[in-house]
Formats: sequence, C-alpha cells, structure tokens
Amino acid sequence: MTSIDVQELTKEYGTTRVVDRLTFSVGPGRVTGFLGPNGAGKSTTMRLVLGLDRPTSGTATLGGRPYATLGEPLREVGALLDAQAAHGSRTARDHLRVLAASNRIPVRRVDEVLELAGIAAVAGRRIKTFSLGMRQRLGIAAALLGDPQVVMLDEPSNGLDPEGIIWIRELMRSLAREGRTVLVSSHLMNETATFADHLVVLGRGRLLADTPMRDFIDAHSERRVRVRTTDPASLRAALRRKGLEAVATGDGRWTVAGARAEEIGALAATDGIAVLELADESGSLEEAYLALTADDTEFASAATPLQEA
Amino acid sequence: MSTTAVLRSEWIKVRSVRASAGSLVAVFTTTVAITILATAAVGQAEADNEGADLLFGAFYALNFGQIAAIAFGTTAVSSEYLNGALRVSLAAVPNRNLLYAAKITVVGALAIVVGLLTSFVTFLSGQAFMGSYALGLGDPGALRACVGGGLYLALISLFAAGLTVVLRSAVAVLSLLIPFILIVSFVVGDMAASVADFLPDHAGQQVLHQDPVGTLGPWTGLAVTAGWAAAALLAGWWALRRRDA
Repeated sequence: MTSIDVQELTKEYGTTRVVDRLTFSVGPGRVTGFLGPNGAGKSTTMRLVLGLDRPTSGTATLGGRPYATLGEPLREVGALLDAQAAHGSRTARDHLRVLAASNRIPVRRVDEVLELAGIAAVAGRRIKTFSLGMRQRLGIAAALLGDPQVVMLDEPSNGLDPEGIIWIRELMRSLAREGRTVLVSSHLMNETATFADHLVVLGRGRLLADTPMRDFIDAHSERRVRVRTTDPASLRAALRRKGLEAVATGDGRWTVAGARAEEIGALAATDGIAVLELADESGSLEEAYLALTADDTEFASAATPLQEA
Repeated sequence: MSTTAVLRSEWIKVRSVRASAGSLVAVFTTTVAITILATAAVGQAEADNEGADLLFGAFYALNFGQIAAIAFGTTAVSSEYLNGALRVSLAAVPNRNLLYAAKITVVGALAIVVGLLTSFVTFLSGQAFMGSYALGLGDPGALRACVGGGLYLALISLFAAGLTVVLRSAVAVLSLLIPFILIVSFVVGDMAASVADFLPDHAGQQVLHQDPVGTLGPWTGLAVTAGWAAAALLAGWWALRRRDA
C-alpha cells in the first residue's frame, strides 16, 4: 500500500511563499479531495510531489521514497496535471506510446487505456483536433497507463460533459475501492462532494483541514432543522422562548438554524403543536468550504465573499 | 531506468512530431534539390571564374540545408516546452540527466545520418552536371568535405538543440539563429575576417574548402563549431537540471 506523505513542505518563488510548511498524508483505499481557492498551492504541491519543482524545504514522498528515485515511475504513480500538455501534432496513440516506451509498459496497455477512457475511436487523430473533454480523457488515460497504485489528478472534470463527469466520478471511486491512493484536486464543491471520502483543504499554501468529508461538513456548516406545522404562530412563540428563530422558506416550511430535530420535536410535543414534517438538514460541502476559506482566498472579489464554485 | 527504453521513447517523440520529421527530410531534399538546380543551370559557367573553389561550390546548397538543420534541432527540443509538455516527460523519466542525454543522442544520431547522406548525395549528384569541371570523391579534399559537411549539419542541429533548452522556445531560437546565419554572419564576415572565422557557421564550413585560407584549417574549423555545439549543449544541460519544470 502506497501513501503520499508531505512533510513540512515549503516552496517559495522569489519572496512569495506558495506552499507554507505543509504536512499531510494521503492514504490508500479512499478518494481524497484536494481543495482550496485559486492560488492556494494545490498544483504546486502536486508538482513538488512529482519532483518537477524543487522544494525550498521539506519533503514529499510516495510510499516513503522521493518520486525521482522510483525505478519506472509510471508503474507506481499516475498523474494528470494539465490536459493541454500533450503535443498537438502527435496522435493520441503516439502520445501514449512515448510514455509507455520510456517505462517499458507493453503497447497493448496503450490500447487498453484508450478503450477505458473512451477515446479508442479517435486514437489515430492528432491531439490538436481534440476538444478539451477529449484531451482530459487522454490525460486520464496517460495517468492510468502504468496501472499505478497512486493516482493524482488536477481538476480532472475540467471540460468534461455530464456523461464524462459521471464516468470520472465512478472511475475514481472504483480506483479507491481497488485499494489505490487517489488524490483529486478540484474547485467544484458539489462535484467533489460526490466522490471524495476525505478532504485536504489548503488556503494560502497552508493546511486548513485534513479530515473525513463528513466531519468536515459537520464542523464547518451550521446545523439546522426543517419543519412544517399547522400552527406556525405557536411554534415560533415556543421557539422564541428557547432563543431560536424560525425563518419561512416560502413553501410552507420553516427553517430553524442552530437546532436539532429532537429539540424541536420535544418542544412541539410539550406545547401540543401539530408537526407535519421535521428533519435535520445537513450543510453542503460548498457552505462548509466557504465558511472555512472565507479569510484565505487570495483572489476574492471585493463585493461578495462568494467566489466561483 | 532502462536507457534503451528512454532512447526508444525519444525516438518515437521525434518521429511523431511533424515539424521535426519534416525538417529532417527538408535537410536532405532542400540541399540536394538546390544543388541539382544550381549546378545544372550555372554550375559550369561559374566554374570558369577566376579562382573558383570548385569543392566549396559543390556544397553551395548547404547554406539552405543548414537552415533546415537548425529547424530540426530546434523543433525536436521545443516540443517539450509547449504547454508544460516537459512535466509529462519528466514524470515519466524523472532522471533529468538520462532524459537529456537520450534526447540529444537521438537528435544527434539522426542529424549525423541525414547529414552524411545529404552531404554525399549533394556532392555526387551536383558533380554529375559539371561536365569537364566535375570532381570525384578521389580528388584532393573531396572525401574530407563530404564527411565534414555531414558532421557540420549535425553539429549545427545540436547547437540549435542546446540553445532551445536554454531559451525554452522555438520562436526565440529560430529568430535568433536564422537571421544570424543569413545576415550577421555575412556582414561581420566582411568587416572583421579574423573574428568571423570563429563563428559557428564560418568555422565549420572551412572543411568544405579545397584549400582553406585563414586562421583555421578544415578540421580545426569543424572543431570550433563542435565547441560551440558543446557549449550550447552544456548550457542546456545545466538549465534543465537547475530549473523547475
């Protein structure tokens, strides 16, 4: 089993510290979402793990070894950094053959991953004729070429159509089920929520969170209860006594922030208020993420703290 | 990592990019085609001129072929500097020394083979039109010029390849070297003969002359060009090792 281990990793470009004493570890058997605002250092961290950039200090290892010391690295680690990196004048098959040859991966594996990525039909076409979605699929095919234990994908759903997004989600989940280590960066929260088990969140190069996704959402989003009643006036009065406020959602339901369903249920029972519907509402990953990173966004727009999700 | 595997990978890289494969073919076709056109049209008339260097004249078209050789060395390397392609290459072959050595070996080997073929075919095909002025491989300096001309083309390709790693852009290298070869070298060549003798193109072309004049002999001239190529390759090696990809 191979894990990605980052220890006190720091990278400075001139006087800018892009990655700041980062320590975390990505374990096998689950999909780890790698989140953070633009410029938080996600891509830089991935490049440091792959030995493409030299850290100012600290280490990044895969199964305890620096990337540069791996014998045939594509057989152990597969990465998609930038789907545009494939040379436009090569065909998709040639692009993969170049990579396969250097790591002594048999040519039949090239056809396998082309098939797997759903681009076998265009394998003989020049990459410059590819759409962004097709390039993305080619990049994923390249990452899986050596059947690696560790898979790192930087924004893999970029440019994919809805069907492609479902495909990549299922693919990442199945890679994790097979016991592989899967690290996926994204700035699409709702998207990440559908595949990640664990989260590593960066802000300005620092580690903001390294927790299971469920815990992350619970910790950083407000609890609230959705309730529907025949007697809103009495319920609101009862709530007010407890210092709670019910807000109408417009469809006949009320939302009570900062409460649990059992509290409201007990309260309504004591006062003899008929309740038609009562449920805890969990926050979304997006809410939790925005709450956490509000102060750590480098390129936030001035008017609204909300950013493109 | 296996060196042969990395060499194979680099070979597929060069072969599968149209610009590189095309410029390599152009080294041969341009040089031979211009030689045949020029010698068939004016070869014998020019040979009549006072003090004509028949051997150097036979390789006149190398002036054009060397532009294709520069394009080959440049594009074979510059494909790594488009949109972060180098990151993909280094992820596959993290040993930068090995990646660089393999790339330069493949570029150099292809350039030598095509260079020698070009230079011999150029000489032999051109002389077929020279009538009574025709030289053969047995004539003084002819074989030396054929071998030297091939090596010259290879060295110019490698010089361009090394420079491309340093500057990381085909546009930068081509817009530097081509005007240099076409213009600067001519102008400086007229003004300061002794300095110009040591320019990469002038020095190396000494090997094509029947009786080289000036500071450098035929082989020492080629050695100076080799020095330029070696310096460019070393600078490229240093740049690749040192920089973040």
